[in-house]
Amino acid sequence: MSAPAESQSLPADVVTLRRALFLATGGGILLAGGSMMFSILSPGGFSALEWTLLTLFVPLFAQISFGFAIAFWGFVILLRGESHEVMHSLPTPAPGDPPPGSTAVVLPIFNEDPARTFAGLENMFRSLDATGDSRSFDFFVLSDSNLPDRWIEEELAWVGLCKRLNAFGRIFYRKRRISIHGKSGNIADFCRRWGGRYRYLVILDADSIIEGRTLVRLARAMDANPRAGVIQTQPRIVRGTSLLQRLVQFTTRVAGPVFAAGSNFWHLDAGNYWGHNAVIRLQPFMEHCVLPEIPGSTAANRHIMSHDTIEAALMRRAGYQVWFAYLEPGSFEEGPPNLLESLKRERRWCQGNLQHFWFLFAPSTSFANRLHIFFGLMAYLTAPMLILFIIASAVDFHGKQHFAVLADRLAEMQAAPGATLVLLALTICLLFLPKIFGTALLIRQAAPFGGFVRLVAGGIIETLFSILLAPVLLYFYTKFVVLGLLGIRVAWKSQNRSSSAISLPDALRAFGEPTIAGVLATTAAAVWTPQLLPWLSPILLGWLLAVPLAMITSSERVGLGLARFGILRTPEETELPKILENLDGPTNAAPGSHSGLLEVALSPYANSVHVAMLRRSTVKARHKEAYLSDLRLRLLTHGPDSLSRRELLALLWDAEAIALLHREIWQCADDTLHTWWREGMRHFSTASAMRDR
Amino acid sequence: MDQLDLSPEWNAACVRVEDYLRAHRVSSRPHLLQLTLDLISKAQAEHNAGSVETPTQTALRIATSQTEQWFSVLAGSERPDDTTAASRGRMAYFVTDCDRRWPTAFLNPSPPVKMIESVRAASIQAGPALEFRSLVRKEIDYGPMEDIARETWDQFSWGHVLRAFAIWVVIFFVAYGIWLRFFQ
Repeated sequence: MSAPAESQSLPADVVTLRRALFLATGGGILLAGGSMMFSILSPGGFSALEWTLLTLFVPLFAQISFGFAIAFWGFVILLRGESHEVMHSLPTPAPGDPPPGSTAVVLPIFNEDPARTFAGLENMFRSLDATGDSRSFDFFVLSDSNLPDRWIEEELAWVGLCKRLNAFGRIFYRKRRISIHGKSGNIADFCRRWGGRYRYLVILDADSIIEGRTLVRLARAMDANPRAGVIQTQPRIVRGTSLLQRLVQFTTRVAGPVFAAGSNFWHLDAGNYWGHNAVIRLQPFMEHCVLPEIPGSTAANRHIMSHDTIEAALMRRAGYQVWFAYLEPGSFEEGPPNLLESLKRERRWCQGNLQHFWFLFAPSTSFANRLHIFFGLMAYLTAPMLILFIIASAVDFHGKQHFAVLADRLAEMQAAPGATLVLLALTICLLFLPKIFGTALLIRQAAPFGGFVRLVAGGIIETLFSILLAPVLLYFYTKFVVLGLLGIRVAWKSQNRSSSAISLPDALRAFGEPTIAGVLATTAAAVWTPQLLPWLSPILLGWLLAVPLAMITSSERVGLGLARFGILRTPEETELPKILENLDGPTNAAPGSHSGLLEVALSPYANSVHVAMLRRSTVKARHKEAYLSDLRLRLLTHGPDSLSRRELLALLWDAEAIALLHREIWQCADDTLHTWWREGMRHFSTASAMRDR
Repeated sequence: MDQLDLSPEWNAACVRVEDYLRAHRVSSRPHLLQLTLDLISKAQAEHNAGSVETPTQTALRIATSQTEQWFSVLAGSERPDDTTAASRGRMAYFVTDCDRRWPTAFLNPSPPVKMIESVRAASIQAGPALEFRSLVRKEIDYGPMEDIARETWDQFSWGHVLRAFAIWVVIFFVAYGIWLRFFQ
């Protein structure tokens, strides 16, 4: 390999200067906003309620100020070009250069649709093969799926893929028997078994896709910079069909780059890790990034749910760099199809981020990581603060209206409305300027967005929806924080990544609460503070419209309808990258249909593949044999619904029991089999006969 | 060949055997018919010798056991009743597409050498050879917040709370009594 990349040495003064500029920008705006608020509240002295208002205002405004500071510096950097990006100076490999370091690409999955997951894997493998450097890479699908059908479908999809690509020994599939600690536990399990074989680890999500060229460049960037512990890419959100997906992918494509560049501006080699679409140096990861326990009264409370930010902090603590390769193309992911799925994910993240609180005070956490953790916490904590702020403002206003002794203060306030309006204008600017920065940067490259007019039209539609959706998120974030603080834990559930419209009953069930909150808040405001109604209307409207908003944003018809007019178009929609082609194969049967069970019981192929993947126990306890024999009998005579999921999994984990099940089902006379099996056999045989024709 | 029993029970058995063979992707029609007939005639012979099983049970018992023995030998096992080898052989047979490459070789007592080699070379693995590493968790000093929290968790007991509550109730009533007695 040629000379080491420039990123290896980062001038200390650059870091200091950039952080000073960033903090000064954010801090300066905060100071300005804070003093304006102080001057608004101060006439006539401070009441307890006004002190509360000021105390709440400072962190709320800080969130906006520092968010703007990130976008501002991102805008500046994107205008003048970034020289301190980890992949920036990576040399093009010359013929004869050694291959990139050995890399394991791992894909932890949990009940996701195998058809989509393995189609993505196939595209990545083919793309990597085309680079000529594929021999340095092995792929691992690490399954924690706990639905029996999903497990069988995954196995068959994997073997089918290996057959098609002749990739046995290059693509592996591992199913964990005991799925503890979710995704981080799954990765740790991989590290224990095979971590010693590889230099780097690329972690993906079930919907992640990274181009082969990018995978090679990431590994080469790690080769070039031995101090890099993690290089995080910025995945582009793609393949959205519902309105919500298309709104999210549009905004991340327009405003995302300024925030990404701005983040890199201040953190440089002290970046964050997002848990996927990143490359990790394995040795230090295994040595230093084993998740510690956090203080807690029970074992469950001591486990860190959201691992990525902490792993980045631990990597930094060990003296390694964490970079953000935000300019590197070829990294993709998909967004949740509707608000419900998005909120499920937010709830997990919220609870995970709340746990990070402990690391804020850990003496070994570096300043930059402390900031990452703080921003992560504040992303959710500001929601209840804002609700409290609104309530306190309304109460304050109501009090000033009704108590004659305070009438003079109201008059003072009304006499000087300038400060209030200036503060309001400043807040609106800070909120919307990042989007304007992003759009401004794209003026000369608007063609892939459908042209300038469509780009702006998309921006306006996205802004309108974000204004309406923000109160709904505000409501749920508040709820998540309260539940999190009360210690009500969340099970780590899989994301439904396939598009699905929310039905009216589902929308009412899930979004009835904010609607009721909206009705109550509107009534209260109308009765006690009618003058405040226009000011509160954006929030109240969002709550009142929560149900239709959830339904509209989940609609593929609306999303694709806008796409037909080129609205909310992204470059990936204009020209679909080759790696994203053919991902929409026939989806697997819905979980619960027992299609996988039918396949493993009847098909000699599926049965033998499944049995081959299981370890045969040399010694078998008699009671276990009797238990499994009873399960088989019940399964055959009473159908699959007579067994719980746990019982089905117990059966599926036993090689001998599954081989016996296959033999027994074929040998059983029709009248002894449950109707479900008889029907299943008929379908299976018809399908076999059709295939042979 | 003896005259076959053409009763409905044997018809059902015949259909099941055909389905079973088709599940093994026997696509050649003549081969399928020949195997079915062979298996059914064996089953009828055994059944006629005296059996409590139904024709379907006998036919499929013979079919499954003959298939497993064949796969076991194909996988290279010395013992035809080696169920592990049978599973491995069956998996390798499908994974290496033997059904497509040698469409008439299924249950052939002398399968083609290439097919045997192909089956014996095939394997599927959950991963490459293991290279175990131990991951050791390092303790982290969380600073003063942890001490405060730990003290709360470690030292908290309802007994303490009740005792404190009782003391404060007593203090309150004593103070209230003093106030009533001397200041009221």
